Amino acid sequence: MPVFRFSALILAVVVTLPACSAPARETKPAAVVRDDFGTPVDFGKSPRRIVSLNPATTELLFSIGALPRVVGRSQWDTFPESVTTVPSLGQALRPNVEAILGARPDLVLLYASQDNRDAYDRLRRAGVMTVALRIDSIAQFERGTRLIGRITGDSVRADALVDSVHATLERVRAATASLPHPTVFIHAWDRPIIAIGGGSFQSQLLEIAGGRNVYGDIAAPSATVTLEDVVQRNPEYVFASPISAPKMRASASWRTIPAVRAGRLLVYDTLLIGRPSGNLGAAAVSLAALLHPGAVR
Amino acid sequence: MSVPRWIALVLALVLAALLAISIGAMSISPSDIWKAISGGEESVPVLVVRTLRLPRVALAALVGAGLGMSGAALQGTMRNPLAEPYLLGVSGGAAVGAVLATTLGFGAAVVPLAAFAGSIVAVLAAFFVAHTAGSRGDPRVLLMAGVVVGAFANAAIMVVLANAEPNVVRNALWWMMGSVSEGSWPQIAVLLGYLVVGGGILIVIAGQVDVLALGEESAAGLGLDVDRAIQRVFLLSSLVAAATVAAAGLVGFVGLVVPHLVRAGGVRRSRPLFVASALAGATLVVLADLLGRILRPPAELPLGAVTALIGVPFFLSKLRRLA
Repeated sequence: MPVFRFSALILAVVVTLPACSAPARETKPAAVVRDDFGTPVDFGKSPRRIVSLNPATTELLFSIGALPRVVGRSQWDTFPESVTTVPSLGQALRPNVEAILGARPDLVLLYASQDNRDAYDRLRRAGVMTVALRIDSIAQFERGTRLIGRITGDSVRADALVDSVHATLERVRAATASLPHPTVFIHAWDRPIIAIGGGSFQSQLLEIAGGRNVYGDIAAPSATVTLEDVVQRNPEYVFASPISAPKMRASASWRTIPAVRAGRLLVYDTLLIGRPSGNLGAAAVSLAALLHPGAVR
Repeated sequence: MSVPRWIALVLALVLAALLAISIGAMSISPSDIWKAISGGEESVPVLVVRTLRLPRVALAALVGAGLGMSGAALQGTMRNPLAEPYLLGVSGGAAVGAVLATTLGFGAAVVPLAAFAGSIVAVLAAFFVAHTAGSRGDPRVLLMAGVVVGAFANAAIMVVLANAEPNVVRNALWWMMGSVSEGSWPQIAVLLGYLVVGGGILIVIAGQVDVLALGEESAAGLGLDVDRAIQRVFLLSSLVAAATVAAAGLVGFVGLVVPHLVRAGGVRRSRPLFVASALAGATLVVLADLLGRILRPPAELPLGAVTALIGVPFFLSKLRRLA
């Protein structure tokens, strides 16, 4: 674990350093930047045909204005709606390598899961620049955006996007810092019951918005929990999706939670808060509006 | 079976149920449990017992009872130690129904009905296959037909799930692993109805199963319509199993192993075997559900896996007496 942490730290430093010192970047190339499978990233190729098989990176390419160069996406990349004009190449995990090669890409972006290792190796062997990124947290979003911006030659817009997200998050954090931070259970799924854990960007957003995740002690991004354990932890608020919330309010089982009985089951915007994206700032603002109405303006 | 053994079986179930009601994420005092049952105040511990623990313990007991009895009846009738409701297409058909309903976007209210319909269709299909094979009641042909229908159902599930949304896959898998966590009183009442009627008839006609055990020719010689008797038991057991599947998803292992355990305990005749299998099945599932929710808090382990985890060692310890 310490070895992993240390290498993750180096990775973070290596990746964020050049991005922070923007003016120096042109003249003095920074240390080697690696993707999340540890392969050095090749800059300066200006890819013209991009395949992105991850909802987060596809949305990110849209946000930095690179969508016209995207020639393939996964079937799950459907947000915002304009990305659906790009042909779908199927699954994002264990993708169809033949379909990807058929799109004649010069850059492929994959989610950095071991499920994608094989496709990653095959694509690289086929001579296609392939970059694996894990975009699950706010820091990973900021790093991934700057990295993709550098690869595609859209650094200015990428950096502007990261800076604006960062500024909004800091504004929300400052506005709620002195307020009490109530405990919140974020309900992500009902069969089985899945709670957002401390490892998720949604948990980070909640802290910024002036709340405390009642399952913040769980390191994973999400975990299955029993309803009785939720009752035991006694959250002051319950956040649920627009679809789940009415069912939960009507359910005798969910009403064993005092917060639900007291009307503190609130609907959160699952579309806005569902993925780490350029909307992270807006997502924090919307969570803060639920917990501390009027605090952020 | 001797009277002390019956008392022990009933006591084991009562004890398992009391444990399951008392233990959980929240520590609850005996007085709160009493208030929950007697209809006292509405404090959080009382509500936890009344709306979360009591329904799930009751549902677990009924599911276990249904599967235990269904397995005992099928093994006796088919004269095959591997016969069990899930082998005869009940689980496969139910899974196809549940997966299709989930994929088509139907909610929690429709899935049990679809599972029930699926298992009935699968059982009837197996029945029809055996019938067209020219053998109305040959247990081996019925078993084969059930296994084949089950294999077809599995293939259908894989085709549907291969390209389903991750959320659908998660829902379907969760359902296939079995759970009583959402037990509700109306659901329990429906299952109880199926158990009382289906199980009741099985107990009434248990004598025919004993005659069948003598072999088909001897049974026919004793004046029993062998084919009809086998068909009747087959359909009733499947119906009871299908009702448990609709209520709690797939809870494996109970229908297969509980009857063997009871027989290892010295029960030979069908009527006491059915009743004892129901009691032992109920105890096993209640305990499995309890373990499932306390072994790895705050998560819950899948009921279908825990029944096997605690059932297998018990089964192995009795294996010598079974062999």
